[in-house]
Amino acid sequence: MEYFLSEEQKIIKKLAKRISDEYVSKVAIKYDKEGIFPRDILDLLAYTELTGVYIPKEYGGFGGGVMEMCLVVEELSRNCAGVAVSYAATALGAYPIILYGKEEQKKKYLPKIAKGELIAAFALTEADAGSDVSSIKTTAEKKGDYYILNGSKHWITNGGEADVYVVFAVTDKSKGPRGISAFIVEKEYEGFYCGKKEDKMGIRASSTTELIFEDCKVHKENLLGREGTGFIVAMKTFDRTRPGVAAMAVGIAQGAYEHAIRYAKERVQFGQPLSSFQAIQHMLADMYINIEAARAMLYSTCRMIDSGAKDFSKESSACKVFASDVAMKVTTDAVQIMGGNGYVKDYPVEKMMRDAKVTQIFEGANQIQRNIIASEIIKEY
Amino acid sequence: MKILVCIKQVVNPEKVEYNPETRTIKRNAQHLMNNPADLSALEFALRIKDVYKDVHITTLSMGPSECESKIKELIEVGCDSCVLLSDKRLAGSDAYSTAYALAKAIEKLGNFDLILCGESSLDGETSIVPPQIAEYLNIPHIAFASNIKVLELQRIEVERKVKNTVFKFEVNLPALISVKKESSYLRLPKLSFMIKALSYTPQVLSLDDLENFDFSKVGAEGSKTSVDRFVEQCFEDVKCEIYEEIEDAQIECIADLVTRFL
Ligand SMILES: Cc1cc2nc3c(=O)[nH]c(=O)nc-3n(C[C@H](O)[C@H](O)[C@H](O)COP(=O)(O)OP(=O)(O)OC[C@H]3O[C@@H](n4cnc5c(N)ncnc54)[C@H](O)[C@@H]3O)c2cc1C
Repeated sequence: MEYFLSEEQKIIKKLAKRISDEYVSKVAIKYDKEGIFPRDILDLLAYTELTGVYIPKEYGGFGGGVMEMCLVVEELSRNCAGVAVSYAATALGAYPIILYGKEEQKKKYLPKIAKGELIAAFALTEADAGSDVSSIKTTAEKKGDYYILNGSKHWITNGGEADVYVVFAVTDKSKGPRGISAFIVEKEYEGFYCGKKEDKMGIRASSTTELIFEDCKVHKENLLGREGTGFIVAMKTFDRTRPGVAAMAVGIAQGAYEHAIRYAKERVQFGQPLSSFQAIQHMLADMYINIEAARAMLYSTCRMIDSGAKDFSKESSACKVFASDVAMKVTTDAVQIMGGNGYVKDYPVEKMMRDAKVTQIFEGANQIQRNIIASEIIKEY
Repeated sequence: MKILVCIKQVVNPEKVEYNPETRTIKRNAQHLMNNPADLSALEFALRIKDVYKDVHITTLSMGPSECESKIKELIEVGCDSCVLLSDKRLAGSDAYSTAYALAKAIEKLGNFDLILCGESSLDGETSIVPPQIAEYLNIPHIAFASNIKVLELQRIEVERKVKNTVFKFEVNLPALISVKKESSYLRLPKLSFMIKALSYTPQVLSLDDLENFDFSKVGAEGSKTSVDRFVEQCFEDVKCEIYEEIEDAQIECIADLVTRFL
């Protein structure tokens, strides 16, 4: 399919594809099995300047947008979504700074994030606040020039590996969601620790940990946006990063589909390759249709966002839901086509099916996305 | 420091097609690749540029205009400028003619401190172009280098590995070094260089641009050697044995075979 990408976008996709095929594919199974953080791949992405594709030019980036970020995530995910999410989580941590950072904050962090010298993370979820984001309990109490953070965060991607964390905490309990603020916390701040590392089903190359704050002193200069705007910071960030999850889903699905086709052409049963059976052909055709539809929706959403549109929560949620459901279906079918070989760890599709699952859960479970979409469409008509 | 790297565009051996009538290899843009040993040489040049800021890397290729698309890949990894010597009168040139034409182009392009070549080209494997260029230019030459280090601005150290022995040479610049194929691997491109390459066109020189050029030394006519015929090697007779259960003696045999080829 011709996607009418610009020459520059084609180059980004080509470069990411090369890193994915030449380097990520070689380590995907090992890193998954042993839970190894892909710092070496992030270093390659930094060397090739792909770490800065979505960062504005004035802060040392390439000056692209969500589309450029998604092209990299998609290509990395074709071989390993765990590697891709380690890259994407930095974007999730950088976007709040791009959108709401003060000039000094942008100058301090964005050029280093663009160069890959800093890895970022985004810390919102807590043990008792998952889908219900506004019920977070971590507090930030103002004392003189500092805020004192107390509490803990759960499921934080790049936890323990990142250098900069955008952390959400309650500054005024009486105000509900309007009492939440966002802070930039650096890894060596006193009173900030990394807790337990999760033993996950998929995306096992990525690091997901708890974060603990015990009287952690954060200077008021590190407040992101104004006090009380944290909830908006989080939601506006998600609007731009949910397509990243969709890109991850499209990439995983594409990878599984490619393995399934190659296998179906090679594996002979009843004297013929599997690809000659209509039941298998229809599965392959459905994979193709669904992946192309998901990619078309993803790219149009990215273009809409990058064009400067104001409201795109509905579109952003819709492409995340559709693509993640496609990834789950396509990877499950790829395992089916490969039979017993699909179900064992010798072939990558088993890993892809495990990796696909999380795209339906994180950055807002698909049920929550459907709530967002429904409330928007009901308002519209 | 000015570095020049000679880089040939060769036909990818996996995609090679012969023309039995003209006894030449068919060359079209999709089948071309940059010669691996030359890319090893380029990597050494780029490493010098990583350390010393005012290093300028020029590449020189000789071949038809189809080579331009591959030359762009050299800009993508960080070369400063690329030159293509392209002229119909060069068609059919052997190693001797090629070395003469390249040396004349290098003279025209200016004074280089260091000239790097690959040890040989994948499609010719003569290894005589680099020493001949050095002879024409009247500069020292060290062949089959496995490492290059800059000692001070006009002096370099060159390593050459022969079996288990490493020979170290020190040489004053200007000099020409030819580099072994597997001594380094070319790095990945960078996004900003790839963007630069999008609109980059190599400087194209014709023989008319070169000074005091002796046209009788190039082309099929000027060459001292010619290809007599191509013989395709057949591997069909190679037998493969599969051992279901393997004994210690057989393991030793296999181990011996493997180590002999390492
Ligand atoms: C691998 C991984 C990485 C993550 N990385 C990060 C990160 O970097 N930063 C961060 O802040 N968070 C991160 N998260 C957290 C993630 O965003 C949450 O897990 C997610 O929002 C769901 O929250 P929960 O797990 O608490 O599920 P719950 O909120 O308990 O929901 C469980 C299920 O109940 C259903 N449900 C809940 N509420 C509703 C409703 N109102 N209507 C209908 N159904 C509902 C949904 O099906 C949902 O899947 C990560 C999670 C995982 C698994």
